[in-house]
Amino acid sequence: MRGLSRAGLAERFGSAFRPSLGGGWGGRMVAGALLSATLGVALVQSSLLLLITAALLDPPAGASAAERLEFTDGTTAAVSMLGVVLGGAVFLAGFIISSTFAFTVDQRRRDLALLRLVGGSRGQLRRLLLGEALLLGTLGAALGVPSGLAVMSFQAWLMREFAFVPPGFEGRWRMWILGVSFGTGILLAVAGVLVAARRAARVRPLEALRETGAAAKVMTWSRALIGLVFLGGALALVIVAPAGGPAGGMAMAMNVPIPAAVAVVAFAPLLVPLIARLVPFTGPAGLARANLRDARRRSASVAAPLIVLVALVVGNTGAGASFTASGVRELAAQTHADLVVESTAAAPGGTAPSGTDAASPSGTAGAASIAQVPGVASVSTETRLPAEVTTGSGEDRETEVVSLLVIDPAAYGKAHGTGDALASLSGRAVAAGPGGDVPTKGTVELRLPTRDLGRIPVTASVPATMSGGANLLVPPGLVTPQELAGAPARSFVTLSPGADAAAVRATLAKIGTVSTVADWLRADAEAANSTNQKIMLIVLGLGGLYALIGVINSVVIGAATRRREFAEARVTGMTRAQVVRSALLESYAVTTAALLLGAVAAGATFIAVLATTKSVTGTATLDLPWPQIAGVALIALAVTGATTLITSLSATRPQPVTQLRSS
Amino acid sequence: MTTMTMTGAAVTLQDITRVYGRGQAAVRAVDGVTLDFPRGSWTAVMGPSGSGKSTLLHCAAGLERVDSGRVLIGDTDITAAGDSQLTALRRTRIGFVFQSFNLIGSLTAEQNVALPLRLAGQRPSRADVRATLAAVGLADRVRHRPRELSGGQQQRVAIARAMVTRPEVLFADEPTGALDSSAARTVLDLMRAMADAGQSIVMVTHDPGAAARADSVVFLRDGRAVDRLTGASTHAVADRLAAWER
Repeated sequence: MRGLSRAGLAERFGSAFRPSLGGGWGGRMVAGALLSATLGVALVQSSLLLLITAALLDPPAGASAAERLEFTDGTTAAVSMLGVVLGGAVFLAGFIISSTFAFTVDQRRRDLALLRLVGGSRGQLRRLLLGEALLLGTLGAALGVPSGLAVMSFQAWLMREFAFVPPGFEGRWRMWILGVSFGTGILLAVAGVLVAARRAARVRPLEALRETGAAAKVMTWSRALIGLVFLGGALALVIVAPAGGPAGGMAMAMNVPIPAAVAVVAFAPLLVPLIARLVPFTGPAGLARANLRDARRRSASVAAPLIVLVALVVGNTGAGASFTASGVRELAAQTHADLVVESTAAAPGGTAPSGTDAASPSGTAGAASIAQVPGVASVSTETRLPAEVTTGSGEDRETEVVSLLVIDPAAYGKAHGTGDALASLSGRAVAAGPGGDVPTKGTVELRLPTRDLGRIPVTASVPATMSGGANLLVPPGLVTPQELAGAPARSFVTLSPGADAAAVRATLAKIGTVSTVADWLRADAEAANSTNQKIMLIVLGLGGLYALIGVINSVVIGAATRRREFAEARVTGMTRAQVVRSALLESYAVTTAALLLGAVAAGATFIAVLATTKSVTGTATLDLPWPQIAGVALIALAVTGATTLITSLSATRPQPVTQLRSS
Repeated sequence: MTTMTMTGAAVTLQDITRVYGRGQAAVRAVDGVTLDFPRGSWTAVMGPSGSGKSTLLHCAAGLERVDSGRVLIGDTDITAAGDSQLTALRRTRIGFVFQSFNLIGSLTAEQNVALPLRLAGQRPSRADVRATLAAVGLADRVRHRPRELSGGQQQRVAIARAMVTRPEVLFADEPTGALDSSAARTVLDLMRAMADAGQSIVMVTHDPGAAARADSVVFLRDGRAVDRLTGASTHAVADRLAAWER
C-alpha cells in the first residue's frame, strides 16, 4: 500500500512539476495545497520566533533603572502583540491548510471511486490520502522553514519601523523551531484530510461511473455540530465582553471574528448558494445560476477562506477603530481643563521660582509654579514614573511593569471628573488608576526604579477607561522630588474666569510646551489612531495576505475539475466567451455571498464592540473604517474575478471535444 | 423466463429485485430476474433503454445491493457481502470495463494496468503488465497517458486493466458505446478471443452487432428477463430486439 501511495504521489508531483505533460490540473491542486502549507508554516514559525526573541530581550547595557523598566514595559507590549500575531497565524494556518487539503480530497471523489472500483479498500483510500497529506505537509514544512525566515525578517522590519521594538531587533533562529514547523505542517495537513478522507473512503465504487462526480452531501451532522459549537463560542464572547472591563472586553470583542467566521463557514454549504442566488445578475442561459444550485459544496469551499478573511480584517479593523474612537471620546468627555502643559519635573532646588516649597501639593516644583501664574484657577500636575508592581502571593505572585502617576488627588479629581474617588488617597497609600491592571483593593508591593517601597495598601481607585492611562496613582508624599527629577510631567490647567488666555499661555510657555485641551486631545487622538493602524497592519497584514492566497487557491482548486463541464457547455452551443462569462458571474455571486457572510461574522464583533464601549464609557461607539472595508470588498472581487478569468480561460483553451474524451 | 440454476455458472442471479425510490415513485429497475451466466462463455444482455440492463450488471457484479434474491459469483454468495469482502472480490475475481473507460488520467497506460495488482498488495512485474498490454495490441503505448490515446486504445487499456488480475468474470457495460465502428470491432475481436480462450464475460450492450459476437444474448424488458438467444446473427438479434421494443 505504501508503494501505491508513493506511486500516486510521484505521479501527482510529476504532474505538478511538469504541467505541460497533461494532468496539470491535478498538479495545480497539489501546488495549491503545498503553497497553503508552506505559507502557513512560514507564518507560524516567524511569529513564534519573534515572540520568543522579544520575550527574552534584555535591556541595553548601561541603561538606567528607569530606562530598564520602560524597556521591559515596551517589550511586554511587543510580546503581547506578537502573541496576537501568533494566535492569528496558528488559526489561519489551521483553517487554510486543513480546508485546502479537505477541498482537494472532495474534488477527487470520482478518482477515488475509481480506485474502489478496481479493488481499492476503504482503508487503502484513507491511507493513501493521509499518506499524501503527510508527504505534502512535510514538503510544505521543508519549504516553509526557509520561507519563514524571509517572513520573519519582514515582520521584524515592520515592528522596528513602527518602533514597537528597539532598533536592531531581529528574530533569532532556534533549532527546536524545526520540530515546531514540521509538526505544524504535518499535523495541520493530516488533520485537514482526516475527516475528508473518512468521508471520501465511504465513496461508493459506482460513483466512478457517473459522468460528473456525484456531489457529496451538502451538510453533514458533524459540520452542523462544529458550526453550533463555534456559534456558541462567538455568542459567549459577545455576551461576556461588556463585563470584561476595557482591556478584557476589548480582547474578547477582538476575538469574536474567529469563532463567528468558523460558525458561518460551517453552515456555508447552506448559506452561500442561498445568498448567491439572491445576487442580481443575468447571464448566458442561466448556467451560472444552475451551477450555484448544483455545486453547493464547491461554492462553500471557495467562499470559506474569503469569509474568514473578511471577518478577520473587517471585524478587527472595525473593532480597533471603534475602541480607539471610543477612548478618544471618553478622554475628551473626562478632561476638564483649558490648557495642557508638558514639562519635565525639575530637580529639587532647581528652576522653581522663589517662594515654592519642595513639598508642594503635586510633589513637583512645576505644579506650584504653574498654580502661581496669574489667571490660573487650578492645575493638576501629573508626573509619570515607571514602577514594578507585584501582586498576589505564592503561585499567583505576579510582577509587572506599570506606569505610575504622582498626582494631587483633589486636583486630579477635578481635572478628570473622577469626583471624590481619590479623597482618601494620602500618606503611604496608592490608588488603582484608569489603566487598570492593578487590584482596586488590598495591598501591592511597589518598587520604584531606585527604591523598593515594600507593601502598600490600595485605598482608592478610579474606573478603568477605554483610553487607558496610568495603572497606579500615588499621593505626592510617597515619592521624593529627587526620584521624580527628569520625569515627564503633564499639567491640566484651568483658567480663572476672565483670565487673559494669551498672557497665561505666554507665561506657561516658559515652563513647558503649552497647548489648548482641544489641540492636545486632537494630537492624542491622532497618535491613538496611528498606533491602532500600525498594530492592525502588523497583526492583520501578513495574515490577511495569507488568507487572500487561500482565496486564490480555493478558486483554482474549485476550477480544477471543471474542464469537462466547460467543454460540455460549449458543445451544447455556448461560445468560449459565454462559458467564461458564466464562470465569472458564478464567481461574482459566490464572492458577494462570501463578503456578506464575512460581514455577518464581523457584525457579531461589532455587537460586542457596541456593548463593551457602552458598558465602559456609557456611550455605545461604532466607528467603521469604510475605506478599508470597501478596499477589502474590491480586492476580494478583483482577485476572485481575475483568478476565475485566468482559470476558466485556461480550461477552455483546448478544443472542447478533446475534453469530452473520458478519463 | 425461468432458467434452472446450473452449478458451475460464472454468475448466478436468483430472483433478484432492485427498487429505486419509495412509495408512489418506486421504480422496479430489476424485477425478479433469475439467470445464470455460464462459465467460459460470453453472454450479452440487451434491452430497450430503461429496461434495467445496467442495474442488472451492477447487481451481478456486487456494485449495487439487491433488495431481494441472491447473487452468486461462482459458488460465493455475495448478496450480503460486506465492503471488505466485495473489495477482495473486485481485486481478485472480477474485472470491469465501462463505456467511459474510467482510466486514471494522471497515470500512464502501464500504471493504470498495474493499479489493481498494486491495490491487491502485489508488486506487479513489469513484464506481466507489458504482456497484458501487448495482448490488447498496445505494446507500443505503455508510457502514454489516457489523454494521448484514442478512444479505442483507452478501452483496450481498460480491458488490460480488467484482465491483469485474471478474473473469473469480466463485466462490460456498453464497452463499445463510445467507440467508432472500427475501434469497436477491434475491442469485440479482443473479447471474442478472450471468450474463446475460456474467459467468462457478461456484457451489457444496445448494439445488436456487438451482441451477436457473444455466445448467447439475454433480453430484458421492464426489469425482467424475457428471452434468450444462442448463436444468433446480428440480424436475428436486431429483429428480436425490435420485437421486444414494440
